[in-house]
Amino acid sequence: MSQTTLFEQHFWKESNRTLEYYLQSMNGYQAAQKVLKEMSPDQVIDEVKKGNIRGRGGAGFPMGMKWSFIPKASEKPKYLVCNADESEPGTCKDRQIIRYTPHLLIEGLIIGSFAIGCKHAYVYIRGEYVREAKLLNAAIDEAYAKGYLGKNIFGSGFDLEITVHRGAGAYICGEETGLLNSLEGKRGEPRVKPPFPAVSGAFGCPTAVNNVESIANVPHLIRMGGDAFAQLGKVDKSGGTRLISLSGHVKKPGVYEIQAGSMTLRQIIDHLGGGVINDKKLKAVIPGGSSSPILSADEIDVVYDVEPLMKVGTMMGSAAIMVIHEDTDLVKLLMRITKFYEHESCGQCTPCREGCHWMESILHKIIHHEAKPSDLDLLVDVAQNIGGKTLCALGDAAAGPVISFVKKFRPEFEAYIKGQKIYA
Amino acid sequence: MEKHLSDKFYTAMKKLEPRYPTKKALILPALHQAQEEYGWLPKEVLAEIAEYIGVHAAQIREVASFYTMYNLKPVGKNHIKICTNVACCLRGADELMSFAEKKLGIKCGETTPDGLFSLSEEECLGACTTAPAMMANDDYIEELDVNKLNDFIEKMKVVKS
Amino acid sequence: MPKCTIDGKEVEFKPGENLITVAKRAGVEIPVFCYHPGLTVVAQCRMCYVEVEKMPKLQTACSTMAAEGMVVKTQSDPVVKGRAGTMEFLLLNHPLDCPICDKAGECDLQDNSYGHGSAYMRHSEERRTYVDVDMGPVIEKNMNRCIHCTRCIRFGEEVAGIHEMVAIKRGNNIDITTIDGNPLQTEYAGNYADICPTGSLTLRDFRFRKRAWMLKKTATVCEGCSKGCNMEIQHEGNVIYRCVPRENLEINKYWMCDEGRFNYHYTQDPTRILNPRSGNASISWATAIQELKSATEGKKVTFLVGSDLTQEELTTVQEYVKAYQKDSSVYHFGTEGVAEIADDGQADQILKMKSKTSNLFGAEKLGIKNVSSMKSTSDVVVVIRGGRADLESALKQVQGKKIIGMGVFLEKDAAPFSMILPGLAFTEKDGTVFNHSGIEQKIKRAIVPKNTVKTVSEVLMLVANQKTKEAVV
Repeated sequence: MSQTTLFEQHFWKESNRTLEYYLQSMNGYQAAQKVLKEMSPDQVIDEVKKGNIRGRGGAGFPMGMKWSFIPKASEKPKYLVCNADESEPGTCKDRQIIRYTPHLLIEGLIIGSFAIGCKHAYVYIRGEYVREAKLLNAAIDEAYAKGYLGKNIFGSGFDLEITVHRGAGAYICGEETGLLNSLEGKRGEPRVKPPFPAVSGAFGCPTAVNNVESIANVPHLIRMGGDAFAQLGKVDKSGGTRLISLSGHVKKPGVYEIQAGSMTLRQIIDHLGGGVINDKKLKAVIPGGSSSPILSADEIDVVYDVEPLMKVGTMMGSAAIMVIHEDTDLVKLLMRITKFYEHESCGQCTPCREGCHWMESILHKIIHHEAKPSDLDLLVDVAQNIGGKTLCALGDAAAGPVISFVKKFRPEFEAYIKGQKIYA
Repeated sequence: MEKHLSDKFYTAMKKLEPRYPTKKALILPALHQAQEEYGWLPKEVLAEIAEYIGVHAAQIREVASFYTMYNLKPVGKNHIKICTNVACCLRGADELMSFAEKKLGIKCGETTPDGLFSLSEEECLGACTTAPAMMANDDYIEELDVNKLNDFIEKMKVVKS
Repeated sequence: MPKCTIDGKEVEFKPGENLITVAKRAGVEIPVFCYHPGLTVVAQCRMCYVEVEKMPKLQTACSTMAAEGMVVKTQSDPVVKGRAGTMEFLLLNHPLDCPICDKAGECDLQDNSYGHGSAYMRHSEERRTYVDVDMGPVIEKNMNRCIHCTRCIRFGEEVAGIHEMVAIKRGNNIDITTIDGNPLQTEYAGNYADICPTGSLTLRDFRFRKRAWMLKKTATVCEGCSKGCNMEIQHEGNVIYRCVPRENLEINKYWMCDEGRFNYHYTQDPTRILNPRSGNASISWATAIQELKSATEGKKVTFLVGSDLTQEELTTVQEYVKAYQKDSSVYHFGTEGVAEIADDGQADQILKMKSKTSNLFGAEKLGIKNVSSMKSTSDVVVVIRGGRADLESALKQVQGKKIIGMGVFLEKDAAPFSMILPGLAFTEKDGTVFNHSGIEQKIKRAIVPKNTVKTVSEVLMLVANQKTKEAVV
């Protein structure tokens, strides 16, 4: 099936990131101009709602609805904060957007800010993206120089500032309230909700937090119209295209773009990824970033989108697919995943702080053949005491892999406990 | 109090001040800027940042210690951070780590005696489709293999002075 | 009023109340660690799980506001399992040193473990340990016992106004601490020990002195300043071991300052004067009463009364003077620079008042004027004080006179007095005080006074009745 793409064709060429290219080859800033001159904020939000964009960061929340939660009558300033923390293992699509189409993001921020009434937007970019932050700042400078940012944009009377705020190494700052605390100069610990950011977000003001890809889609959506954008999606309630980070044991790893819901997981691996490396047998797939429950090789004939994946007990998350072949030691892989969440737990809530470490300790014992047979059930029970019990979603992220790995690949864990060696 | 941070630091901060509604929001940018000058964040520097922001010294320490990129201890001139997370691990990151340890003669988490290299394990860098990857100072080196790693170390040894 | 249902009971609530508060009203106690009514809600400990109908996950009662028609279960199977899970997590790293822990017996971790934990331990991993920093003279830290509830951090930031307690690092390695072993700066540090739900922050002053469950508790009011913070004297065997704040939302909420908390020590000071004396010589009460009578009878006397006395004591003095000392005058003294209520005011942003005595308002209410407005003084001066009124500010006005002291004095105070008649400290008597804004409160006797001291009314009555025979006293 031939795919309509909005991003991919512009990737991988450094000269594409300039304002000149954006204006000439991508109808740059025309959508923003149209919005600022011809549309009302409500019309923009309605159009985005029609376009059925689901949040590209992981939760898949409908973007138009998120914007509509921002109170219209508020004496406080309102903020649009772009989540460029891209920290879910397996995910590297936002980095592509920032590197090759930064103006798409800036234009999206202009439109989004106009829609919710924000005068100062922030881009919270993960600290490790040192180069990307520089590129983005350079693009922002270009936009300021042209008058696309600053005072009275396009003579519309609308003002907007954009500030890039760098993180400093914390996965949890990808969680929107952790991100807001970090933006405010605090520890990136997630906040209790409610209040939700739409009511009390950045600096105690109404705030919308949106992922890079979500925001970068907005200019496309406005140009095409919400209905046409929605129709790019091939499943209900999911419009546009999806950027997929395909990694692990595939022949051609990469960031690919498909129309939402237009392919199954198997088709993505075979047609886009070129199949499993060295023509090994597929063993398992982590379909939506390392926190998504793992799928075994026989579960991958599922349409790759938010709701179909939810139906098979996993999630699309940030659309990061990690392919795993037959020679992979899944016990060690789970250990690595668990270690990650242990390392990234902010430590404020009990089940996550204590439980992630405990799961790691049990897995350590299993790998070193020091575990008792009952430890496997203990491991799952600990995961269940974390899942659904924590203040933010990190607990679920840590518990999901443990529960699904043990459920689907139990014999491998038991072999370790019995002292058998499956892999060299 | 004796000043440790340069005029450049204060100029950069002055420029950023109007971009945030609170001064506290400058804590992360200030820590980045200070680390750029010092390579790491000594206590005196943290205390000076606290004074500049107008918060208790403990508050800066609490924020700085939350984020892994802020070095609260000195690090080598070149900081090699190899990602060993899932995507990189599936693509051989562990072997690269062993190679780096052998090549540098230090364990992960240590610094060479000449202070030229520090080696750490890094969590996902967001370069999964070009795995394995490492961060070498401010740059990423992707589709990393033993040769590339070796070349980087050799290159940095030469620019010692 | 709107209503919700908790464990089948219908309860009324005020909008904005959380489920912990509402449940309490229905007689349902929900276990907590991080929640404290005087601090912001963080929902971190995950102990107060409840099941709320139509919500798929367990909710934390601290962060869930009651809503009209809400149906809440606090004892369902998922709730019980959830709480047991949290207890298990908290005990993974908690040392089993309850037998030597000062918190034992009044420890939330112990109580909740007893109520909601399991009798068996499923983990065999080594416990996490920390090296503790010094935190100064008030608080002893034991981080190994910490359950990371962050009450202390929030108290510092939100109540004490100083962000000196912080969380360093993150995740499983998080350390709740001050930095670099600096002593705590706040003058409210004792509260850290009160709000700590484990024995992680304990009071140095109380350390290894008494098991918590042995203590008897007497509800009273602090005499440290005109704020009138409500507090509890905790004592056993007629010895005070500590004072802790008592909730009063109108006055001190849940807190008290260190000055007030440790103020009681002077009442148990070994140098406290407990026998009547003339000059340096101990005398009998009969002699003392006789001497007081002959020094004052029919003479113009200046009575200086501490604004640290109770309303009953002040009234007694006033009435006595009216009846028996016609031309004498009464002035009050207490705090240098705070002559009257109008001079009083907040000494900090939290609780402390400028007036360092408890009943300035009461003294003024009786029409007694401050010693600073005294024009002249008589040859004989009787100084009556509870124990905190500032002697220096009173005595500088009556230098060179014959000064007789009544009340509580330490050896260091004795020099200016020709005679001292020892009285009762605030911990040893009942009475009324009015705080700076006129709120009337009771102080209560916690300690039986030594039989060698006498109340103000006893002394004045003896003088008045001239019953000064040895046998009577």
